[in-house]
Amino acid sequence: MRLALKDIRYHSFKFFTSVLGVGLLLMVVLAIGGIIRGVILDSSTIITETGADLWVVEKDKLGPFVEISRIPEDYYHAVEVIPGVAEASPLVMAWEHVARMPRPTPLMRFLYMNTLLTTKTMVEPGWMAMPKDQQFVLIGYKPGRIGGPPVIVAGRGIEADNYELVADERAGFQLGERVRLGYHDYTVVGLTKNMVAFTADPVLYTTLKEAQDVLIQPDPDLLRDRRRRYKQQTLPKEKARVPILVEPLAQRAASVAEDTHVVNAVAVKLEPGASAEEVAREIRRWKRLDVYPAPRQVNLQLMGSNRLILFQLSLFRALLVVIAGIVIGLVIYTFTLDKVKEIALLKVLGAQGRRVYGMIVQQALLMGVLGTIIGGVLEQASEPYFPRRVETTYGDIGQMLVAMIVVAVLASIMALRRAMKVDAPSVLGA
Amino acid sequence: MEYAIQAEHLVKVYGAGRTRVEALKGVDLVVRPGELFAVMGPSGSGKSTLLRILGLVIEPTEGRLVLDGDDIYNGGRPDLQRLRREKVGFIFQLANLIPFLTARENVVLPLELIGVHGRRARDRAMELLDYLGVAERADHLPEALSGGENQRVAIARALAHEPKIVLADEPTASLDTERGLSAMRLLRRVANERGTAILVVTHDTRMIGEVDHVIRLGDGRVVEKGDVLERPRA
Repeated sequence: MRLALKDIRYHSFKFFTSVLGVGLLLMVVLAIGGIIRGVILDSSTIITETGADLWVVEKDKLGPFVEISRIPEDYYHAVEVIPGVAEASPLVMAWEHVARMPRPTPLMRFLYMNTLLTTKTMVEPGWMAMPKDQQFVLIGYKPGRIGGPPVIVAGRGIEADNYELVADERAGFQLGERVRLGYHDYTVVGLTKNMVAFTADPVLYTTLKEAQDVLIQPDPDLLRDRRRRYKQQTLPKEKARVPILVEPLAQRAASVAEDTHVVNAVAVKLEPGASAEEVAREIRRWKRLDVYPAPRQVNLQLMGSNRLILFQLSLFRALLVVIAGIVIGLVIYTFTLDKVKEIALLKVLGAQGRRVYGMIVQQALLMGVLGTIIGGVLEQASEPYFPRRVETTYGDIGQMLVAMIVVAVLASIMALRRAMKVDAPSVLGA
Repeated sequence: MEYAIQAEHLVKVYGAGRTRVEALKGVDLVVRPGELFAVMGPSGSGKSTLLRILGLVIEPTEGRLVLDGDDIYNGGRPDLQRLRREKVGFIFQLANLIPFLTARENVVLPLELIGVHGRRARDRAMELLDYLGVAERADHLPEALSGGENQRVAIARALAHEPKIVLADEPTASLDTERGLSAMRLLRRVANERGTAILVVTHDTRMIGEVDHVIRLGDGRVVEKGDVLERPRA
């Protein structure tokens, strides 16, 4: 006779509402873990998906995603001939925006209204107005070299300079949609997925040259104004003052202003078996550049830009885990103590300890396992509705299951030890 | 003659020093197989302590206890749990049936505890429920049974594993006079027909007419004892 199952069937409402409570609490614990994993993935995706072993940047700069790095575009030729380098690809990347927001979905409207309500006492009027511009990271690469979209989920990739874009699907663009960037309209020809910056802004890909035009070429009005000012410096009275400097200065200023052959980084793929350290040393030595292995580049983002948010979330998660453990332990503890009369009766009838323990521990385990399954399913089902990436793995759920088994067994044994100490005849009214 | 219960000079002391309480101060009693034996006395007289010692729930501080021929505390540490499981049946003031088990499953439970499972256990339970007149309620949960039916199922549970001794604590207290007398007659019948020694702790003097022997406790001692009825044994 399976006492545990019979008891559960009899107290099914109480048992399953307790399981649901445990499941909802575990869903939150799993979700916060998924949020942390999402931040980590967002911080590393571009770097890992690019497939580069080394990132070459301007001397004394930390990297293209951390600080502004500018190096001449043609340096990649010099890097590519260093022994051990299989491929070097010049890349530009920067935050851009378009004056367009996708039509908000009901979920986005809900999230916005929720934020508005929950921050009402924290902000000044206008601070929480719905944004009108959409931010993203524009990456320019040479088609056929590393640095482009790793996967195309719809449409096609970019083959040549033709004012075309591949966008992460989170940007909300449709295939064929025209997007104004800089002074040209670009056509979205392909969609990729999960390519976001560490800020979770989606990535748009275009060719290197067109990205350079968008990101580096100054505004024409500003250019005209600067040229006019340089010409004014050539007036006779000015010329009389510094005759020798004026013309070269104007020439240099104009050339700098119009030169777009600058990149932010060169992504380097090594030949199989090549030593990353040796190649990096060579590049540093000959080109006076800085070089970072891919893991270091990820580290710069995780422990740089995202350091505090990661610390904050991890601390919150640790608190949540402790609180959830205590609450779930108490649920199981009180659920067990509610059976003190049945336990006392079994004790008086001479039931073997293992039988009493079996009944209680089986129920606690079932509660823990079902709670974890419910929590895992609810968390997985809710992931798409979070505004940023939330990614929980089966490994996370497995870890939670092990933790829950430990909590369930400990809580039930603690409760049982207390229940076994009671004076059974008194409990039974003797 | 071998007694079902033989207690000699049972003493039980709780606490120590200023909190020391002597609940039993040397109680002697014997109960024969097939005998219905009553223990009476006011609150605090030591009835419950005596019942717990006889039921092997607590150990006496001093004295000798022989149950069904086993000298319980003479030689080594006894396995009270096993002895309780095999030798003693309990009936409480409230039926104390397990609420999530049917009447039949409640009776099967003590059988499973001694290793009798399956059809054999179910048949034995049905036989007892039939004997006590509640067979037709076998598949009902305790909450669907009347107080009297619950008490009959509790008696069936106490008898299921064929203990030589049944200890009943105020078994009629929650029943009205008629049902109480009916329950006592049932216990009387069980004792007579099955040869089970039944010790009843009660303060209900109306039930005394049904028992064979009675002792009265006062302040932890036997203050009065005697035969109540001279009735022929079955």
